[in-house]
Amino acid sequence: MINPLERAPIELLHWFLNLLGSFGVPQWILTVVSAVIIIGTVIGVFLGLFALMSVMERKILARAQNRYGPNRVGFFRWRLCGLFQPVADGIKMITKEDLVPRTADQVVHFLAPVVMLIPALMVLAILPYGRDMVPADLNAGILYFFAVGAGTEVAVFMAGWASNNKYSVLGGMRAIAQMISYEIPLVIAAIIAAMVSGSLSPSAIVAAQGGFAWGFLPQWFVLTPWGFVACLLFYIAALAESNRSPFDLPEGESELVAGHLTEYSGFKYAIFFMAEYVGMFAVCGLLVTLFLGGWQAPLPFLVVVPTWCWFFGKICFVAFTMVWVRATLPRLRIDHMLAFAWKFLLPMSFAAFISAACWHYAGRGPLAWLLSLAIVGVPYLILGTAFSNRFAVSRRTYQFSE
Amino acid sequence: MSFPGSGIVKGLAVTARNFVGSYFEKDRLTTEQYPEERPKLPENSRSFPFLIFDGNDPEAGMRCVSCKICEKECPPQCIFIIQDRDAAGKALKRPKVFDIDISVCMSCQICVEVCPFESIRMDQDYELSSFDRFGSLLLDKSKLLKSNTYYQSIHPTEAAETDARLEADRKKKEAAAAAKAAAAEKAAAEKAAKAAQPPEAAK
Amino acid sequence: MICDFLKTCCADPMKFIGDWFVLLPAIVLLLAGGAAVVMRNLIHAALCLTLSFIALGIVFIALGAEFVGFVQLLVYVGAVAMLIVFAILLTRPDQLTKSGSAFSGLGPAGGAAVGFVALVALLGFIFTSPLAKKPLPASASAPVADIGQALMGDYVVALLAIGVLLTAALVGAAVIAMEDKQP
Repeated sequence: MINPLERAPIELLHWFLNLLGSFGVPQWILTVVSAVIIIGTVIGVFLGLFALMSVMERKILARAQNRYGPNRVGFFRWRLCGLFQPVADGIKMITKEDLVPRTADQVVHFLAPVVMLIPALMVLAILPYGRDMVPADLNAGILYFFAVGAGTEVAVFMAGWASNNKYSVLGGMRAIAQMISYEIPLVIAAIIAAMVSGSLSPSAIVAAQGGFAWGFLPQWFVLTPWGFVACLLFYIAALAESNRSPFDLPEGESELVAGHLTEYSGFKYAIFFMAEYVGMFAVCGLLVTLFLGGWQAPLPFLVVVPTWCWFFGKICFVAFTMVWVRATLPRLRIDHMLAFAWKFLLPMSFAAFISAACWHYAGRGPLAWLLSLAIVGVPYLILGTAFSNRFAVSRRTYQFSE
Repeated sequence: MSFPGSGIVKGLAVTARNFVGSYFEKDRLTTEQYPEERPKLPENSRSFPFLIFDGNDPEAGMRCVSCKICEKECPPQCIFIIQDRDAAGKALKRPKVFDIDISVCMSCQICVEVCPFESIRMDQDYELSSFDRFGSLLLDKSKLLKSNTYYQSIHPTEAAETDARLEADRKKKEAAAAAKAAAAEKAAAEKAAKAAQPPEAAK
Repeated sequence: MICDFLKTCCADPMKFIGDWFVLLPAIVLLLAGGAAVVMRNLIHAALCLTLSFIALGIVFIALGAEFVGFVQLLVYVGAVAMLIVFAILLTRPDQLTKSGSAFSGLGPAGGAAVGFVALVALLGFIFTSPLAKKPLPASASAPVADIGQALMGDYVVALLAIGVLLTAALVGAAVIAMEDKQP
């Protein structure tokens, strides 16, 4: 029942390595070549996805705002619905003058985009792209993801500091405060999925969501009460970690110009842009792995479609919802953003944690489902009502003028 | 039913309806894809002046008689007219050179208002970009002359009114000429009758 | 001699790469630590310290202790380094790029002497501790489940004590931050 297309990438790699081996190439070179090919493919696919995403985001945002998006840039004489726009953007970015302020910290200013991009690309190593298709099957894969992702915060600070610009420093500090605050619900939501699966390895978590209940219902974690809440928490925290709307205060053009990215132009800005989008895809991939069943198909008869198709299809769906949310919600103010993280998301993540544990220890039966729903639903209603009352628009009182 | 977060869900529903509707409902997207679709300009919109000719031959049907009123009345003085002279040096009722510098023209339409011969009107063409700075923005007579049918197509109401007025004037002139001819004929007939009568009276 | 060295390298390249996977981060760690101490610019010193944290994490991973290495990166680079940087930015923003003396008080010789004494003492404690006498475990990399079992089983008191300490610190920080909001 395994579709031959499913094994095609792996078989291709093995065929090429055997070909090289038949020429007498020693084993260790074959290992290195295999690693290089896998790394190259993964990075190539995600950079292609980044290019496609940059134009599709603009088109989807446009359609949601009742207008066309970019629909002109094509190839020679064919318009191709504007899908070659990233090529035009890339050429523009490369040919722009690279301005560095004279009083900026030259070394740190130069290194900040590099330090931003490297962790974003490194975290792609542990995602299971299909059955048996993990570039690095680490025992503590989820921990690796968050450990390497911490490098992004250093880069944001470096970018904000090195520009020697008050507003960049302010923007950088705000960005770091936001990233640190939202890291906790992110990690706790990931730990919930790891706890129920019993392992920190992404392939084990995907395998724990396999099988179909009653023959046709998928057993993904998102379809349980605690899993749904944890997925939403992870999703919101992921939006905040990648500085996407509605949490894009650090890089909104109307606040602080571009925050920590003000003094970057040309290709360095393109690298920041790339790092943000690749990080967004990586965290979408992790969400898909942890909660949406990874490369599993949703219904039994859809197993024919290759698993890597399912994985990338789910990533594209989650990315589409991120663009959808961007088209809908206004930007949050920094104090609202931080209050939301510490006073709503953090208690909800603890509630989801306890709910998942109760679900597991109550035997995973119908009573367990009801119990976990109650444990997660009651805090949600209480916290949500308190939160919306706290920030409700009330009559403005003045403290000093009377 | 408003649970905490229901506002966000309603917002997402609105955006989703916009997104899906933009593919199926034709009147959602109001974008005009220039240059494939040109915008429909209102009838009275104007860009720069042009000269009208009646009939098929631009030079022969030109309405302008080189009275130079528009040149004198133009506030930024962007019209340059040189009257045509025949071989003997006598002035003809047509311009030899009629240039309008549209880099100076401010589209005030004063030249149109003062022209007694309905020969200069405002055009609607706005795609006048050129590669050299001022050279091709000096329009000469050949570029300015456009037919009356073109004028009727861009300003139908105005053109109908002008044509009706010109037609009425022409009819009046014809009637006057006919009346004058009839009067002259009557006078000639009376003169002939008088010439025929006295010899009879003298008899 | 160089030919012998190259021969041993090419005999087992993976071991060669594996050895340098530990040595290179260790060298970077020492150099970055030294630079963090010597540098005049405070932010540059903080960034070199961050680099030394990263190098230490890579050393842990190269030695097979993956869990500790990742936690080192997550906690030290993600949280402690940011804390250091925030503390510098918020408390002394005017003295950052002033080239004051990097060595205050004891001077370079005194500082090196203190460092040397501390190194000798540490090495003495490490080599005479009971841990040095235990046999090495069969496989260097322990699965995370074993570490979790050990933490929750044998060392649970230490874990809970650290948790209480962190909670106290968090509550204290919140109280200190809240005091500024007096109307």
